[in-house]
Amino acid sequence: MNQTSDLLTLRSVSKSYGTVPVLYDIDLAIRDGEFLTVLGPSGSGKTTVLRLIGGLEPLTSGEIRLDGQDISGMPINRRPFNTVFQDYALFPHLTVAGNVGYGLSVRHVARKEIARRVAEALELVQLGRFADRFPAQLSGGQRQRVALARALICQPRLVLLDEPLAALDLELRRQMQDFLKSIQREVKTTFLFVTHDQEEAIGMADRICVMQAGHIRQLGSPHELYYKPNCEFVARFFGENNLVAGTLGETQGEFRAIETALGRLVCSVAGQPHLKAAATGASGFAAFRPEALRLAGDSDAGNRLSGIVADLAFAGSSTVATITAAGDAAQRLRLRFPSRVDGSALRTGETVALSFAPHEGHLVLA
Amino acid sequence: MKSAGLARPVAIRWSPLVTALAFALPVVFVLVPLAIFLVYSFFSVDQGQIVYVPTLANYLRFFTDPVFLPVFWRTIVLCLSVAVISILLAYPTAYFLTTLRGRWRYALLMLLMVPLLMSYVIKIYAIRSILGLNGFLNKALVGLGILAEPSTLFVFNMNAILLTLTLLLIPFAILPIFLALERIPQVLLRASDDLGASSLQTFLRITLPLSMPGVASAASFVFVLAIGDFLTPQMVGGISGFTFGRILYSQFGTAYNWPFGAALSVALAVVVIVAILLGERFGRNRGASL
Repeated sequence: MNQTSDLLTLRSVSKSYGTVPVLYDIDLAIRDGEFLTVLGPSGSGKTTVLRLIGGLEPLTSGEIRLDGQDISGMPINRRPFNTVFQDYALFPHLTVAGNVGYGLSVRHVARKEIARRVAEALELVQLGRFADRFPAQLSGGQRQRVALARALICQPRLVLLDEPLAALDLELRRQMQDFLKSIQREVKTTFLFVTHDQEEAIGMADRICVMQAGHIRQLGSPHELYYKPNCEFVARFFGENNLVAGTLGETQGEFRAIETALGRLVCSVAGQPHLKAAATGASGFAAFRPEALRLAGDSDAGNRLSGIVADLAFAGSSTVATITAAGDAAQRLRLRFPSRVDGSALRTGETVALSFAPHEGHLVLA
Repeated sequence: MKSAGLARPVAIRWSPLVTALAFALPVVFVLVPLAIFLVYSFFSVDQGQIVYVPTLANYLRFFTDPVFLPVFWRTIVLCLSVAVISILLAYPTAYFLTTLRGRWRYALLMLLMVPLLMSYVIKIYAIRSILGLNGFLNKALVGLGILAEPSTLFVFNMNAILLTLTLLLIPFAILPIFLALERIPQVLLRASDDLGASSLQTFLRITLPLSMPGVASAASFVFVLAIGDFLTPQMVGGISGFTFGRILYSQFGTAYNWPFGAALSVALAVVVIVAILLGERFGRNRGASL
């Protein structure tokens, strides 16, 4: 199906702690060389997935296959994976070089070889000058990079990253995102990155796996998830979205209508046969991004809406207007438009006409 | 502006007094007695009367008399042995404790600490009856056929002191080692596994080095407590088990030579201070903020 082969597959993997289930029948295939992000709120089971793959915890049922071979029972120290822990877990009594070389030295690699590869790995993460420092003498970002070098030096098949950026401040986190991505491209190793931060996920991942309450909700490219969420949870969790509840109407080619309190809206169902096939009258949502919504001119075709501006929030390059929709006072619509130096054309309390193009709208089944 | 002052008038009124007490108590009860000892060590005794004229005679006697220095060294070696044996026994015990889960861990720790609540003298008597010629140890060894007849190996000699001190002081070794082991974050051990280390490698390269501060504290605790002990050698040492503590004790008692006793105390205090400083030096984590 894909040119790239699957490195690791999870087949109906379940995990319970005592009687409390945390993962239900997870199926997941990780492609060789990809940057896969597992995204979910806390308690979604995303870290458990990583811990099961890493061998930090046993499966309750199901199997994990590496190159087609079941490794569910393989002990942690035999798995060709390395983990970057959330709080780095650097050994405080070893220097940076000692930490990075640890994985080689426990495998009895010759001293010279270790020294060479440690120097290489530290060069890769731009910490060449810090080889003799102790972890306590490093900043958070530097520790992070030591942890990464330590994980990469054993040339693992898969690097597991457990929210490694959570402890860093925003600016540093952005830098580290770019850095991680560039390192991943350079070493061409598969990365499995766990995070609760969807911005982080969009920025780095080749594919994103969204999890909620122990289930995988959607797996796809950031673009797919952003524009074609397959359920309400993903539509709400992944970026800002306007969701308008309604019942599905008739299909016309690549478009389908939905009857809502705000009127009849037409949205794209291109490439999503399950939406075309859904029964008429089924409940669902029209989903459209704040940036897809615009102030309507008289001649505008497409979906027409109107409402009263309740709030205006300046957010730098763009401004977000919160609009109370006409037809349903509880329905808020968010409109994002480029900011202008001479101020917004909108005033709070003003009645506005809005529209969005059918191809920028999307349907989600409830 | 001074609203903070209104909120805690009591604390403000009392805090200088509390601070003063915090400094005064150690000064009055620790430093002053030590200073008095130091001063006394430069006096001498004539016909049972203390002569308050400064002299170095006591120190000269300590270094030149053939009796004192050998006992001094022998006692240091004895107490080092006690420290080493205590740690060899305490480390596996403490390690085992950390492998237990939840309340069992602390219940067992408490059980191991119970002997600390018992009277010192009673414990020594109990141990003496175990080590004695007709004691439990000898009877057991004979009963098992290891010995043909009761041995005097553990009766009223240095061995008896060594064994008794070890048994008495082992709780002081278990506790710091246990605390050091418990403080090692589990994630470090998982990280070591994750990097491919076997459990033995993880123990030798991560657990052991990270617990060394606890071992150092344990060693200095046990050593200091052992070297200051005169009661145990007195009660189980017999004639051959002569330690520095006993000499010291006799100078203040039977010999009634306080200045010389004070000089010997100063020598002992130097050893104790060195031991504590060494324990402190190695008791800290190297470059780590654990």
